[in-house]
Amino acid sequence: MSVSLAYRFSPLLTSKTPAWRSRLLIAALMLGFSGLACRAAYVQVYNNDFFLHQGEVRFARTLELRASRGRILDRKGIILASSVPSWGIWASPDDVDGNPAKRQQLAQLLNMPLDELNQKLQDTKKSQVWLKRPVDEALAQAVQVAGLAGVYSRKEYRRHYPEGESVAHVVGVTNSDEDGLEGIEKAFDAQLSGQAGSRRVIKDRSGRVVEDVGERRPPQDGQDIELSIDSKVQFFAYQKLRDAVLENRAKGGSAVVLDARSGEVLALVNYPSYQPEQRDRLQHAAMRNRAVTDTFDPGSVMKPFTIGLALETGRVTPETVISTAPGSVVIGGTTLHDAHAHGDITVQQVIQFSSNVGTAKIAMRMPAQQMWETFSRAGFGQKPELNFPGVASGRLRAAKNWRPIEQATMSYGYGLPASLLQMARAYTVFANDGQLLAVTLTKNPPPAQGQPVFSAQTAAQLRHMLQLAAGPGGTGQKAQTEGYSVGGKSGTAYKQIGKGYGSDKDRLYRGWFIGMAPIDQPRIIVGVMIDEPSAGQHFGGDVAAPVFSAVVQQTLRMQGLAPDLSVKPRILAQASEESL
Amino acid sequence: MSRLNVLLAAIVMANALYLVRVQHHSRRVFVELDQALSESRRLALESQRLAVQVRALSRPLLVERRAIDQLHMHTPTPGITHYVRPGSSGVAP
Repeated sequence: MSVSLAYRFSPLLTSKTPAWRSRLLIAALMLGFSGLACRAAYVQVYNNDFFLHQGEVRFARTLELRASRGRILDRKGIILASSVPSWGIWASPDDVDGNPAKRQQLAQLLNMPLDELNQKLQDTKKSQVWLKRPVDEALAQAVQVAGLAGVYSRKEYRRHYPEGESVAHVVGVTNSDEDGLEGIEKAFDAQLSGQAGSRRVIKDRSGRVVEDVGERRPPQDGQDIELSIDSKVQFFAYQKLRDAVLENRAKGGSAVVLDARSGEVLALVNYPSYQPEQRDRLQHAAMRNRAVTDTFDPGSVMKPFTIGLALETGRVTPETVISTAPGSVVIGGTTLHDAHAHGDITVQQVIQFSSNVGTAKIAMRMPAQQMWETFSRAGFGQKPELNFPGVASGRLRAAKNWRPIEQATMSYGYGLPASLLQMARAYTVFANDGQLLAVTLTKNPPPAQGQPVFSAQTAAQLRHMLQLAAGPGGTGQKAQTEGYSVGGKSGTAYKQIGKGYGSDKDRLYRGWFIGMAPIDQPRIIVGVMIDEPSAGQHFGGDVAAPVFSAVVQQTLRMQGLAPDLSVKPRILAQASEESL
Repeated sequence: MSRLNVLLAAIVMANALYLVRVQHHSRRVFVELDQALSESRRLALESQRLAVQVRALSRPLLVERRAIDQLHMHTPTPGITHYVRPGSSGVAP
């Protein structure tokens, strides 16, 4: 039987404890708390800045907020270039596990034959090799989750060009850091690039951002650039140009489509072209925008400007008769020839038959200075005001240096090299009642302010002559197109070989055709140049005019313009009424 | 007096605990907001990527090739186009 005792009678409480023990305990506690207080004062007051800084170093991070590069759009808002995130899987060959099972797992993840994977990983000289790029985010995460040694994923931004080679020369290309290298990418690099921002944050142990500290600098995304290009017209022009270059076994070719009322460039194509997304295969020659950067003797497409000046100054009328017999003329000891002898022909037939002799004879009636002024006002020898890299100015020598033979040959397009874009722009004079328009590659330009070159009457007379040149009996008959009236001038220029134009055996040619449609109220100007055709035909009327014809018809149709010529309907069956 | 001190000490303690709770809640909400913003950016980029992909799949070259090869279509010309002008029932070319 147990005996219970009241608490106060416990023998433990009745034992005598020395007082120094409790005092020692209290002193120890006081000392401990004093130490803590001193430490707190040291941390919070005396050395507060240092500890704050150390805390920030461990938990605060500055994050860069990437600015997205602006898109390049066509006139209808269709994407021509855009930066999108993608992922790439890369490996450090030295660190990758050689275990066959692990390799097999990686090959399965990447959906790649094991042999191919092993081959890539054999290159131990490289510190990193790309295994697969681009890949989607899910695969990149799956590779991370698999935790294979030496295999990593990286997020990157890639520039995509969905239209591919047809628009490559206009849009251009960027390098791997997204800096513009060519084309619009280079010309508008500052607007497209934007500015990266930053934010200072505190991250927790698991890497999550838990607090913003300091000032946040938001990123400024690059601006979108809207071009005047119509991607459908661009594609169609590219396709027809490519077919013509291949069919004529030519070295290359270019085509330009301008809006005749605003000067906007609707299409600007070159062949050969390149795939802008395949950066490792880029070749400088193929990347050159020949239509803008290369200048050539334009040949007979120049004649309307010489005839225009003669009409404007009242020296001739369209009906004035010019004797071109016997198909040649001697000027300054040099004989100039026509392809065929035409005898006595009117001024408008000089354009229609493209007579060198007739044009030269008319030119010799005019002072060189007056011709220089007219050519200069039409933009020859001057750089077009176009924000695009490498725009060529061509060459137009001062009139005081012209010898008579040079004045004669310049009248039909030799000795004053110009780019295709310059030539097409110069033809805005005929389409706009004698006013030269500025060309632009961006949408919604300010209202076109033309620079007067000829009077409206002269321009109308020249349009009629251009219509004759593209009509029956003219040199550019193949430019005719179903449904729409056209006018234009063909040109066939010898290419310069060394200091001359070669001999009859080794002569090289450029075929041109520049014209407009519908001829009474032109909506578009189309210029085509085929370089070194070698399949038997070399006249501009044979190699370039068919491209003009196809491009004009499809462009006007896509613009919703009804034909201005009667067309024989070939709609075989009318749709019957649907029963409801 | 001592009761008042105890009360004040309790209030201080309660406030301190509430402050900790609010701070924790604030950080949790901030994390959620940050994640939502990240997701929003990711979706915007994904939308941009898909728009580029759609354009790449509908570019004229592919459409034309399919139209010609598989559907046996050909490029329209004015001769087979029926032009309709406003205010008229239709104008044959």
